Formats: sequence, structure tokens, C-alpha cells
Amino acid sequence: MSKQKRSAEDFAEEVRTHLALEADELRAEGLSPEEASRRAHVEFGNVQTANERFYLRGRIQWLDSIMRDLRYGLRSLIHSPGFAITAVLTLALGIGANTAVFSVMNAVLLRSLPVNDPTRLVYFRTSNPPRRTGTISSSETFSYPVYQALRDQHPGLANVIAYVPLSVNKVAVRYGSQPEEAEGDMVSGAFFSGLGVKLPLGRGFSEQDEKDHAPVAVISYNYWTRRFARNPGVLGTTLYVNGIGFTIVGISGEGFEGLEAGGSADFWIPLQNRPELNAYGNPLDEGKAYINNPTWWCMRLIGRLSPDVNKQQAVAALTPLFQRAAYIGLGSPMADEKPLTLSLEDAKGFPGYSEQYGRPLHMLMAMVGFVLLIALTNVVMLLIARNATRQREFSMRLALGAGRSDLLRQLLAESLLLVTAGGALAWLFALLATRSLASWAQIEASLAPDRTVMLFALITLVVAALLFGLAPLRLALAAGPALSLKTSAATSNSEAGRSRAARIMVALQMTLCVVLLVGAGLLIRTLRNLENTPLGIRVDGLVVFGVNPHITSVPQGKAFYVDLIAKLRELPGVESVTVMAERLGSWWSDNSDMTVDGRLPDVPNGSSRTVRSNVVGPGFFTTIGVPILAGRDFADSDTETSPHVGIINEQFAKRFFPNRNPLGHMIGTDDGRYQMMVVGIVKDHKYRSIDEEPIPMAWYEYAQIPIAGKMDVELRVHGDPLAILPAARKTIQQIDPNLPLIKPMTQRAQYNLTISSQTLFARLAGFFGVLAVVLVATGLYGTLSYRVNRRTAEIGVRMAMGAGRSQVVWMILRDSLVLTVIGVIVGIPLAFAIGRALSSSLYGVQPLDIVTYSLAILGVTLVAFVASAAPATRAASVDPLKALRTE
Amino acid sequence: MPTQENNDDRIALLQGTLDLLILKTLLLGPCHGQGVARSIQRQSEEVLFVDHGSLYLALQRLEDKDLIQAKWGVSENNRKARFYSLTAKGRSELLDKTSQWKRLTRAMGLILEPQGLKAQNEEG
Repeated sequence: MSKQKRSAEDFAEEVRTHLALEADELRAEGLSPEEASRRAHVEFGNVQTANERFYLRGRIQWLDSIMRDLRYGLRSLIHSPGFAITAVLTLALGIGANTAVFSVMNAVLLRSLPVNDPTRLVYFRTSNPPRRTGTISSSETFSYPVYQALRDQHPGLANVIAYVPLSVNKVAVRYGSQPEEAEGDMVSGAFFSGLGVKLPLGRGFSEQDEKDHAPVAVISYNYWTRRFARNPGVLGTTLYVNGIGFTIVGISGEGFEGLEAGGSADFWIPLQNRPELNAYGNPLDEGKAYINNPTWWCMRLIGRLSPDVNKQQAVAALTPLFQRAAYIGLGSPMADEKPLTLSLEDAKGFPGYSEQYGRPLHMLMAMVGFVLLIALTNVVMLLIARNATRQREFSMRLALGAGRSDLLRQLLAESLLLVTAGGALAWLFALLATRSLASWAQIEASLAPDRTVMLFALITLVVAALLFGLAPLRLALAAGPALSLKTSAATSNSEAGRSRAARIMVALQMTLCVVLLVGAGLLIRTLRNLENTPLGIRVDGLVVFGVNPHITSVPQGKAFYVDLIAKLRELPGVESVTVMAERLGSWWSDNSDMTVDGRLPDVPNGSSRTVRSNVVGPGFFTTIGVPILAGRDFADSDTETSPHVGIINEQFAKRFFPNRNPLGHMIGTDDGRYQMMVVGIVKDHKYRSIDEEPIPMAWYEYAQIPIAGKMDVELRVHGDPLAILPAARKTIQQIDPNLPLIKPMTQRAQYNLTISSQTLFARLAGFFGVLAVVLVATGLYGTLSYRVNRRTAEIGVRMAMGAGRSQVVWMILRDSLVLTVIGVIVGIPLAFAIGRALSSSLYGVQPLDIVTYSLAILGVTLVAFVASAAPATRAASVDPLKALRTE
Repeated sequence: MPTQENNDDRIALLQGTLDLLILKTLLLGPCHGQGVARSIQRQSEEVLFVDHGSLYLALQRLEDKDLIQAKWGVSENNRKARFYSLTAKGRSELLDKTSQWKRLTRAMGLILEPQGLKAQNEEG
């Protein structure tokens, strides 16, 4: 249909004609020419405006009508505040939860390191380190000689970079006079240049800095912001690390917080060789720091692939070099030792996060996805219910000449309002939720939502807006203009198709609800099991803190702890005191092979020879409350000069002394250098974490072992364990005023940290389960109430025909029970699949846990009953006469 | 639906109804805009008030929808004017809308008017 577009001039001409004709007519009625012309103008109104409106007709009309639609939509939403609030809150919760979980996932799993071309970065991995070595992670850490060899010769790689933290947690630093703690790494000279980290201020390190072990430091953007308020004047000033001065020479780019898994480095220094700055803050091992100790594999290595080289090629080129370098300083491989393998792993994301959080986060994402699905169907059902009652309004509008596109626009406008309000609220909710998620999960990397997260939220919102606009449209149009003329509620609302759609949605919600409840149930039961797992320790009344005295020699260290233990024992309320090299329940353990009576014990083929060991003080087992099954505890009388003694656990005795009495036998380190006599056997107990299986363990007496540096002090006290801390702090400061208590907490809290991710996971799953239940209940309630309302007439007729109230109630209840049964039948296999996927996160509960499934089914049935109760009661109280009169 | 505040007794037209009235007026024969306005006002016994600016936009809208067509001609008092006439499509639209409107007003009337009055009206 092609028509000539009418010109504005033509329209203006028509308006002039109109004014002339009007004036003619008025003159004919007896007015003076001037008066007639004036009146004609007045009657017409603003001529200019009319011309403008003609001109803008095609252009501004849509904007104008959108504004009108929005105003209209707003008014109609205000008229039904219950609906509007429910819909907006539902949306906010659904979308907010998704955005929050997604932004954590984005930060942790999806985001790339803020370095140059992260896709070409690779971590070094090995199958197993050589025998007689100690590692931080048996597949991920390497010794300094290995690094040195690969740094000097690295075919296939542009460069090789090493880094190692100065401490397990934080290291003592001082800026000015204030002692404090910070996280710091020692890194190779190519760290910043090789990774391609931008330094907005100052410089990075050079090869020369590494060679000289230069006293220079780069601080992170975050630390610069937090500690120095972004003062550029910090460049050139001195930061003392463990008492050694480092000149700050650079500030790293925003967002770069190092490569340590889960940590966020505050500063970096070049690799050092001083004893005070050993890797991981460890005391020297036989006088050797990490840098001249080929048996301590503690450094992580990262490399950048050369252009045009892929991982396989690089591995092939590097492997011979690596296999040679691995045995530098170790002698030749033992006869039965398998050849070492080298592999390279993509390093584009944040290290360690995907192992730690990958699975839980994917599961959480699936759960919140279900919640979102429930939330969306809920709002759709509410909208359909609401718009069905508005069918006459739509009909009337169609009858008055509104086009289908007008109706669509109006529905979209209303949906847009809902979604905008819901989205704004969701964003707020997501920001809060993300922050608490991060603090619960102890993720220190920046979780601030970035563009990806915003895009995610926006796409969700747009999909929701379209869905909400389009879903009710069919209904509105189905009404047709004729419907406005029908007056019977019964006839205008009995289309079977619509109620089928609603029923399918309710059944779908029930299905998702079952799945979520089962998931939540399994995880909560897991948490319960973990919390109720006996530790094998009398954990109440124990408090623990670390001390890191400035010690230059082993005898000085021993004297420090003897003195400290004696002083702490005298504090009122203290029952007993001991020390340990590795804190209980800190996820940390020293693993190695041990000799029994001078040789490595035979073990049935394939099974492990690994023994966990710890170095502890006198009265250790008495203090932590572990029963001694045979022999004795360590005592003050065990000293460097007395016979060296050790204590083992039941597992050790069972595995390495089958059918023998271990007391009096000798056990020792795998290199045979250190031997001790077994004087005690203690009951198995939890050592590293709550969910561990017992493994063979051995304990050394600290006075008899040539190490002395940082130790953790364990106190058993009467009353509130934390109340002793001020007195303990005072005692320590009397010895050395600069010593802080490191991470003081109750031993129970320390153990609970080992299940913090399970706790978080279970709590969140529980929260989403409850959310699902609430959403499903409101959705079902809304749908049922609406249907009962629509069926008032039918119910009236039934009752007039003699149906009893209980029959009416049953009619409504049966409806929702049928839907529940369908939901359960579909939901159970789905839940089973989810349970299987979760199985690695479960503890002490089977994926097909009858109790959990029964509770979940009971839960949805209850929801169905509760949500149906009110509508059913209302149906039963229908007065047949009144119901029929409304016809 | 937006309505305008009016101090006089005349009633501003509901949106959509103006279209119907224009079509109805044009059923009697081709007419120019000013004639249509006059005709509506007069036939409604001056109760309905036609905003002239809106009228011309409505005419344009109907023309865009091919419900009416227009051509320039000469008025009875010899002025050049744009004359509108119904198309076939407009005619059937008018029939549709008229019957809808009648049923709507009857339905409204049933609700709004007391029983007695209705009976009288039907007799009268």
C-alpha cells in the first residue's frame, strides 16, 4: 500500500481553510468579521500546536504513547498493591540471588587474571616429586634448584617465573612505628615483566634485583588504597618485613592481587636468601633456607608459552630438563622410583579457585537458577491471574478502537515497570548478598560486579520483561472485543487451555521445589554430620594462638618456649599449656614416610606409607584431652639431652606394628637422620580437619628437634577460653613487647573453619530451599485463590445442587494434591540426579537418603495444603444464593 | 484513559469515540473537517465538544488507516477545502464499531439505569 506522504504545508493549508470556514459561519451567525476570526481561532486552539503535532505525529507518537502506557501501567499497579509488591519482591529475590551467585562465580571462575594475554600463561605441574623431599602441594610446588635450572633454560617458554609466600597467612610488617601484619610473596625478577602486570606507579623488579636479593618491594593497589590512602608519596619509603627494610619502588595495577590461591598479596619482594625471610615463614631446616634446600619443594612456577608453541610441544621440550633438574642435590633416583612427569596447566583464571569453589559454585548456580525459574513462573501466573480478571477491560479497549499492538504495548509497559522495580531492588540485594557471600566464603579477591555481571543481570531482566509482557497477551487478545458484552463470570473464564497452562506451571514449580528441598536437605544433613562428628579431642576450654619470636638460634628458640610455657602456666585459670609446630584444625599437615626400626616399613602393595607428623610440647595430649592408650605423654623431663622419644596414634600402631607392641621400638625420619623411641600410643583423633579419615600419625618432642621458630600455643583454661587472651598477651609482651598473638581463637572455632565452605554451602542451599518453598506457596495460593474466585458461580451451583462443604473443600484440595503428586513424581528422579552430582560434597549421608526425600515430599505436600487451605475455606463458605445472584 | 477537565457542560470525547463519530458523519456524504466538527457538535445538541486540533489528527489517522480518503475541492461558499469521504473499509469498520458501541451502551445502560426508568424508556 503506497501512499504519497502528506506534506506539513498541505496540513497547514487545511487548518487555514478550517479557520476561514469557521469564521464564515460565525459571520453568518451575525458576528463582526474580526470577532468571527478571533472566535474561530479560539475554538481551534493553538494552530501552531496542531501543526507541530501533525509534523511529529509519526515521530513522537510512540514516545508519547509509551509515556502514556507507563503512566497507565503505574496507575493500574498502584491499584493492586498486593500484586505489585509480591511480583516485585519475587523478582528481586530471584534475580538478586542469581546475580549474587553469578558475580561470585564470575570473579572466581570466569574472570581472567589482570595480566597481559593470560591465555598463554601456564602453571607447572608434576606427577610426583622425588622421594626424600617435602612439598607444599605434591603436584604443584618445586624446589629452588628446579626453578633455577628452568629459569636459565626454558625451551618453548618465553620465561619462567617463581613465587612463594613469606608466610602461611600473614607476615609481620612495620611501616613507621606501627607493627602490623600483611600478606607478602617472594617472587622472581621476571614476575611483573613476564606476567605483564601493569604498574601505574613506579617500577617492577628486574633480573638484577633477583640476583642481588635487592631490598625493594612492590605493594598491591589494594594495600596501597587500604593502608596508604593512595598516597603516591609511599614510593621511596621503607616497609619493614620481619624487621628487614625494603624500599617501596612500585604499586601494582588495580585488580592484581598475586597468584596465591584464595589469597590477596599486599606486597611482593624479590626472592631473598636471609634466614628471617624463609619461604612460608618456616624456621630453617638444618640451617638451610628454601633457596639452598633441594629437598623442600615449596615454590610455584608459572611460565608463558612462546609464540607458536602449544602446551604439548613445550612439555616435550621441557621434560628432559626438568627430570634432570629435579635431582639436583638429591643424588640419583632410587631404583623403584617412577620417572617424573611434567605437565602445564592453563593459568588464565585465578589460581586454586576452581578446585576449591568450582563444584559448589556450579551447584549453587543451578539452585538459584531453579529459584529464578520458580520466581519467573510465579510472576507469570500472578500476571495471568490478574490479567484474566482484567479481560473485560482489554475487551473494552479493543471495542473502543485500540489495536492489538496497543494492548501489547500496554502489557509490555506494565511488565517493564515491574521488571525495572524488581531489577533495581535485585541489584541492591545482589550487592549485599555478594558481600556477605565473599566474607562467609573467605574469598579475598575483589568481587565487585563488573560488566559481565551487569550484562548477566540485564539479560535476565530483559527476558523476564518480554516473558511477562507476552505471556498474558494471548489471553488479552483471546478476549476479543466481543467479550466486554458478556457479563457472566462463569462463561467468560472457563477456557480449559488457560487453566492447563497454569496447572503445568504449578506442577513445574512443585518439581523444582522437590529438587531444591532434596538438595538443601542433603547438604544440611551433611553439615549436621560434620558438626556432630566427634573430634576425639576435649575441645571445649581450649584456646589457641600463634607466636613468632625473633630467634636466631635453635637454643634461643627453645629457651623462649620453655620460659613462655612456664609463665603461662602460672596465669590464674590456666589448667595446662602446650605448644605445637602445626596448629590443630588448620588444614595443614607435614606428611612424609617414616622408618620403623631403621627401615621403611613394608606395606601391602599400593597402600600408602605416608605418616603425618607434628612437633609438640610437654603435656600435649593431656592438654588437648586425647586419651593415652598405652605408655605416656611428653613431659618437661624430655629434653635435648634425654633419650629422644616419640608418640604414635592407633593407626600408626595398626599399620606399621601389626600384632606387636610398639612401645620401645624406634621410629625415624625417612632419611634416617633422626630416630626416636615410641613411648606412647594415643587414640585416633581429628588432626587437620573435621571431615578427614584417620591416618597414621607421629609426634616429635619440640625440645629434641632442631627447629624453633613460630609455634602455636594451646591453653586449657577454666571458663570462657577467650577471656584468658588479655592476660596471655600481657605475659608475651613482658618477654618481647613487639610480639603479637597470631590468630587467637578457640580451638573449636579453628576446627569449624575447616568446614566453613560446607557450612556456607549448606546454609545457602537451605536458604534457597526456604525461598523456593515460600515462592511456591505464594504462587500456588495466588493461583488457587484466583481460580476459586472465578469458580464462585460454579461452586454456588454445585452447592445449590446439594454438594456439601467438605466436598467443595476436597474439590479444591484434590486439585493441588494432584499437581503435587505430579511434581513429586517428576521431581524425584531429577533430585536423584542432583544428589549424585552433589555426592562429593556430602558427608555421612547417601545421595539417595530416604529421610531427606521423605522430608522433601512432606515439605511440598505441606506447602500445597497450607497454600490451598485459605482458598478452599473460602470456596466452602460460598453462599449459593449470593454466588448465583452475581450472574 | 486521559480526560480533560472541562468547566462548561460540554463533554470531552473519549479517545476512540471521536473516530467513530467522524466515520458516522461521513456516512452522510463527503465533508470537510470544519463541517465534520460542526456536524458532531450540532447533532449532539452541543453536548459533545470537539477539539479541532485533535479532529484533524484523527482525520489524518483514519486516512492513514485507509478508512477514509481525502481530496481538495471547493466548499459551498467557494473556499478551497479538503473533503473527506468513507472508503469501503471505513464503511464496514463503522458498522462493526457501531454495533459494538450499541451493545456496550446497552450493557452500560442496564447497569446504570434503574429498572423502572428502563421500562419507561422502552415504552416511550
